[in-house]
Amino acid sequence: MNMESIRELQAYGYIFFTIFLVIILYSYIYHLYKSEKDGKRNYEKYSDMALHDNIDDVPVEKREIPLSAEKEK
Amino acid sequence: MQASNVLNYDYSVAKCFTYATILFGIVGMLIGVIIAYQMAYPELNYFAGEYGTYSRLRPLHTSGVIFGFLLSGIFATWYYVGQRVLKVSIAESKFLMSVGRVHFWLYLVVILMAVVSLFMGISTSKEYAELEWPLDIGVVLLWVLWGISIFGLIGIRREKTLYVSIWYYIATFLGVAMLYLFNNMEVPTYFVSGMGKWYHSVSMYAGTNDAMVQWWYGHNAVAFVFTVPIVAMIYYFLPKESAQPIFSYKLSILSFWGLMFVYLWAGGHHLLYSTVPDWVQTMGSIFSIILILPSWGSAINMLLTMKGEWGQLKENPLIKFMVLASTFYMLSTLEGPIQAIKSVNALAHFTDWIPGHVHDGTLGWVGFMTMAALYHMTPRMFKKELFSKKLMESQFWLQTTGIVMYFSSMWIAGITQGMMWRASDQYGNLEYSFMDTVSVLIPYYTLRATGGLFYLIGFLLFAYNMYKTITSGKAILSEPQNSSPMQA
Amino acid sequence: MFHWLERNPFFFAVGVFLVIAYAGVVTILPDFMESARPVIGTKPYTVLELAGRQIYIKDSCNACHSQLIRPFKSETDRYGMYSLSGEYAYDRPFLWGSKRTGPDLMRVGNYRTTDWHDHHMRNPQSVVSGSIMPAYKHMYTNNADIQTAYAEAYTVKKVFNVPYDKPNMPRLGTFEEANKEVMKEASAIIADMKSDDVKEAFKKGEIKEIVALIAYLNSLK
Ligand code: HEC
Repeated sequence: MNMESIRELQAYGYIFFTIFLVIILYSYIYHLYKSEKDGKRNYEKYSDMALHDNIDDVPVEKREIPLSAEKEK
Repeated sequence: MQASNVLNYDYSVAKCFTYATILFGIVGMLIGVIIAYQMAYPELNYFAGEYGTYSRLRPLHTSGVIFGFLLSGIFATWYYVGQRVLKVSIAESKFLMSVGRVHFWLYLVVILMAVVSLFMGISTSKEYAELEWPLDIGVVLLWVLWGISIFGLIGIRREKTLYVSIWYYIATFLGVAMLYLFNNMEVPTYFVSGMGKWYHSVSMYAGTNDAMVQWWYGHNAVAFVFTVPIVAMIYYFLPKESAQPIFSYKLSILSFWGLMFVYLWAGGHHLLYSTVPDWVQTMGSIFSIILILPSWGSAINMLLTMKGEWGQLKENPLIKFMVLASTFYMLSTLEGPIQAIKSVNALAHFTDWIPGHVHDGTLGWVGFMTMAALYHMTPRMFKKELFSKKLMESQFWLQTTGIVMYFSSMWIAGITQGMMWRASDQYGNLEYSFMDTVSVLIPYYTLRATGGLFYLIGFLLFAYNMYKTITSGKAILSEPQNSSPMQA
Repeated sequence: MFHWLERNPFFFAVGVFLVIAYAGVVTILPDFMESARPVIGTKPYTVLELAGRQIYIKDSCNACHSQLIRPFKSETDRYGMYSLSGEYAYDRPFLWGSKRTGPDLMRVGNYRTTDWHDHHMRNPQSVVSGSIMPAYKHMYTNNADIQTAYAEAYTVKKVFNVPYDKPNMPRLGTFEEANKEVMKEASAIIADMKSDDVKEAFKKGEIKEIVALIAYLNSLK
């Protein structure tokens, strides 16, 4: 391959990825606000996770997979 | 399981890394102050023969603070924050516990060997990647161990949702792994030729390519070591210490993706007007400016988290450290893109403005945040009250003064130097000899070194405060929920 | 999709990695094809010069000196012709530096002499008053490491096809042959030096670091 076609590929790779990322980013923003409005999920409920981080605090979303440690209890 | 029946977070690894942070912080910053004075008083170069010259010490300073101080700070906070937001104790898995221990000891060995080898002048010359291949292998190993620790802990977590700090730690892990591997591709010469020093190697890339890889690394090492993990810290410690939920969680995760998308494209700004293609240079410039958005997204989010709670600034020095840290983050993420504008860069590149810029990020943002995190962790890890609030206040003001002296003197020095290099007289001849541009900077070098000295003294106060807390702080019975307890 | 990603650490990590890796692939890789070509007249370093280059790295001269002349009048007036990509084709690693505490050295071989360096490296302040460059006295007592330099030259020849032993290019040959070359080059440099200790040592067959370093500095043109 000669340099020109590589440069061309590079520019295409560049443009498409940038456009792709912009779309992803905007649809992500849309998703964040939409799902909150529909009441499907509220991201803001995670915002105080740092405040309830004792080991016996209730997890915001409990993981189903049983832990071996918990079986022992 | 532990001996006692009550399940508790296990901080033994976090404690080890905390000690390492303090130790390497002192060493790295002390060397920094020495080399800063050497630039003002060159006679200081000869206190230890060939091992004390500016040029031997400079890689030691950079590696010491980045890979000694900061990296152990990142590990310390990981072994603390990771457990807490995943709501799982590392002691629940014997395997992860041993990984953590090995991780620490291997880290210590690698760093100590790095110190020795840099003193001896064993270096590949690439900035922030000076270590030769045997030590590179050590670094890779300990990075893998850290990865096991991260993903292992995530694997046994109780909390399904990964808190945003965890995202940032994961990104740190991946980013550094990729960068470090590619930038350190080298061929050991002994194994090809059978002679010479066994540890010597030669870079896989030559000239311009090597420069491109190096600054892709150099720039993004700043991203994934100086920015991403520190953001991880502030998203945990500021809300926790101030008892305020994050202002907008959505903004925090958006900024995360923004940062990931944009940062990697901006590396070209280190190579403006060099021999890399124009195309790469221009993109580097443009993306550097876009980078302001996600950076400020996080910083503003943090400041807004404190909305209506500014009173805490007066009562709690830890909050003060963290709020100033995010302010400095805003300052340096604005300054960086400005320097990446081509015409500004033409003036600023190669001058003292660049170290000035680096240091308002590292001293203000990275240093303050790391110290605040350790201050927050210590009462909880050792079940002691912090030894002295007064000392913390004095440290805060001393170090803030130090930072201001540092960056203001370097701004002036850098711009002066840049202007003098290009100044020409009425006939179009260069107006100043190179020595003219050196002599004029000496007062600023002195001022800078003194600013650094202030910061170092502040750090020693920090170390002393931590030492007193651990050895003779007042015991506390139950873990404080929010603001850290401290004696007056 | 987004929510799923947020709770699956593995795929989350893959996503992050793809995003950060892509930029590197697109910006860096293509240029590997092009910029490695040497310009006409650029030659690989001789073994003695390479030994000097290793000393330059060992003592991190690049912490204060750049080797990159930007295309501005003020720079070309001061340091000479601006840098071309191909001129660095044999530089492993590159030594552009990032800070000019001292002047650029890309073409220092054009305007400084062996004798000047000899005095300057031993005591910069005696040559340029007010200089803040450290003196490098240990270079006058440490021996240059010719073996490692040969090992490096041999490695780049074998692994990266650097054109040693080609017509009009530096000779490498076996270590014995290379060593003879090194002695010849060194004696030419030492003849221009004033330092008696270095001359004495050379009579005993030792090449001090300073000799190799000057060979390297002289090659920067
Ligand atoms: C602390 C920073 C510093 C370090 C480290 C340093 N230099 Fe210098 N160098 C300077 C300064 C400042 C000057 C200008 C004043 C002078 O000529 O002494 C200079 C000048 C020079 C010059 C003269 C260039 C000219 O155009 O006049 C040479 C050659 C040189 N240095 C070589 C070296 C070498 C080789 C090393 C590594 C062994 C080195 N320098 C390390 C600061 C430094």
